[in-house]
Amino acid sequence: MEKPLAPRESKWREFWRLFKKNKLAFLGLVIFVLFFLTALAGLALTSGPKPFFDPAVVRLEEKLRSPLSTPHKENLSSQAIPRLGLYLFGTDELGRDVFSRMMQGAWISLTVGFVAVGISVIIGIILGSISGYYGQNGITADQMIEALVLILGLGLLMAGTLIPGALILIAGGLFFVFSQGWKKRMRKRAETGWTGILWMRIISVDTVIMRFVDIMLCFPSFFLILTVVALMPPSIYNIMIVIGLTSWMGTTRFVRAEFLSLREQDFVTAARALGVSNWRIMFRHMVPNAIAPVLVSATIGIASAILTEAGLSFLGLGVPPPHATWGNILSDGKSFIFDAPWLTFIPGVAILIVVLSFNLFGEGLRDVLNPRLRERS
Amino acid sequence: MLSFIARNCVQKIITLFFVSVISFMVIYLAPGKPSQVDPLNPKFTPEMVERFRKQFHLDKPLYIQYGYFYRDLLTGTTVSWKDNEPVLKKIWERFKNSLWLFVVGTVLTWTLSFPIGIRSAIFRGGAYDRGVTFLSYFLISIPGFFFAYVLIILVVNAFHVPVIGMETFGLGDIPWYRQGMDRIWHLLLPSLLGAAGGIAILSRYVRSQMLEVESQDYVRTARAKGVPEEQVHYKHALRNALLPFVTMFGLILPGLIGGSVIIESIFAWPGMGRMAYEAILARDYPIILTENFIAAVLVLVGTFVSDVLYMVVDPRIRL
Repeated sequence: MEKPLAPRESKWREFWRLFKKNKLAFLGLVIFVLFFLTALAGLALTSGPKPFFDPAVVRLEEKLRSPLSTPHKENLSSQAIPRLGLYLFGTDELGRDVFSRMMQGAWISLTVGFVAVGISVIIGIILGSISGYYGQNGITADQMIEALVLILGLGLLMAGTLIPGALILIAGGLFFVFSQGWKKRMRKRAETGWTGILWMRIISVDTVIMRFVDIMLCFPSFFLILTVVALMPPSIYNIMIVIGLTSWMGTTRFVRAEFLSLREQDFVTAARALGVSNWRIMFRHMVPNAIAPVLVSATIGIASAILTEAGLSFLGLGVPPPHATWGNILSDGKSFIFDAPWLTFIPGVAILIVVLSFNLFGEGLRDVLNPRLRERS
Repeated sequence: MLSFIARNCVQKIITLFFVSVISFMVIYLAPGKPSQVDPLNPKFTPEMVERFRKQFHLDKPLYIQYGYFYRDLLTGTTVSWKDNEPVLKKIWERFKNSLWLFVVGTVLTWTLSFPIGIRSAIFRGGAYDRGVTFLSYFLISIPGFFFAYVLIILVVNAFHVPVIGMETFGLGDIPWYRQGMDRIWHLLLPSLLGAAGGIAILSRYVRSQMLEVESQDYVRTARAKGVPEEQVHYKHALRNALLPFVTMFGLILPGLIGGSVIIESIFAWPGMGRMAYEAILARDYPIILTENFIAAVLVLVGTFVSDVLYMVVDPRIRL
């Protein structure tokens, strides 16, 4: 029996060994796990009809108490006494317990980061892989006309002009049937005649998607997010969706670049020879090989999404009150910055630590996943 | 070269067209109407709303409004819906204020990042390098508004100078040098804050470029033939590492219009970012769309400049 000569290491083992060597990145991971647990605990303990830590209890006689101070129990009703027996992080200008509010806000930060980045990664992977895989395929004139007609019809429908919109949509459908039928008939003949112009390739899929990326990159992102959030009704879901929809461009570019090189490799040819369908090749065979740079940019993207949400909350456009987020605790506390600095410093430092941990973790991932950087630095 | 420029220009104009369409759609299809902004104002009678809608073509279909708007914008006659002032004049007023922040911030970024990055590349792995690395992660991660308050507390407590606004109000007749100092104190914090993230990112980039070049063969050759270390670093390595940064000159252009909303609102700085923010809250669409359009133009011009610069400085590149 042959034994492997060198000690075999699985991919994960090797990754873990290299990762543990990077002290800062490891610290980032630890903080990230702690933050995750805190946010989960925060969700469990501060929501529901009778939360364990109630972030909404107003105690006007106990306002702006400093951290670690004990409540004056004789003045408070029995529900208003904080669970821990003291104000761990102090109270704000309405006497609400900052610790409970921070716990509540942690969950918001976490979900904003993950949902926003989830949306942007999904869009990025789909568009990037289509662009990289089908890049050379052209879009023909009839497909372009089709798409334009359908978009026009839908647009008119949405703008409220029902009858022309519906007519145009029906016309689009008829054109689709016509062009499919015509194409079948034409394929049998050798020369196509003047209708051949309909099937001329005008532009490639790759060009369309990459130009769209260029267009999206022209918008100043924070400004765009601000505009949309201010014009939409205030809700946390809008913020997540908007941040996600305005930050997928980087991922698209990474995935496309990876796909362009992966497409030429043997395992893809082998899969194709086995008759694996295109979508299966893309998402089962190629995406797992292209995921490393996406993971890195997603980790750093979570950090910037958390910062963006905090910034929006700070400007008063984030989650509507009374729900607490770290950004609006800080924003409310800024008027008391000299009397009650903890209202600024506690959420500020919390955001800083969480964002820092994501950034360090992301950079660590980049170093470990990229073999070219491994020997260096 | 010429064909590249021509092709690029056509492409950029098409991109700009789509940007204008998308930004128009985003703003006009959002729920809520600009004419409903102030329903409690007694002056806002239904006739007023009707006149307002007529005057700004709000009663026309969207594509006609689009045509009107960009015709006005390109001929420079757009007016704000709030006070009927020409938008370009308003933007220019604010631009002059933001320009100060931009210039000081950019100068700080570019003068500080290079020495920091080069030094940490030369002493890679040492205490200085590790300290700077951690510090730059720190600067990237700290929320700007929090950092602003920390700095305000520090500066106000340590130096007892006012920092909010563009200048101290009501100073009256004071000698020019004191007025100058006052302006500098007011300018320093916001521009430093604007530069902080840039310094962190750029110095990391300088460091990685330097490391890349220092591992090249010609640097080893230079060392082997006995060139003094100073010359190896600054003549052989640095000059080649500088190449990508030439192109970044083009990419700082969009910062001209950006003007950080958050920093300008904290420091009560009457700049462009704050004007955009106020316009968004007041649903003053002409201002929002104009700023967006200018920003898009600057991004496109910036990428164009950086492409051309790349071709000029690096003869190997043929686009």
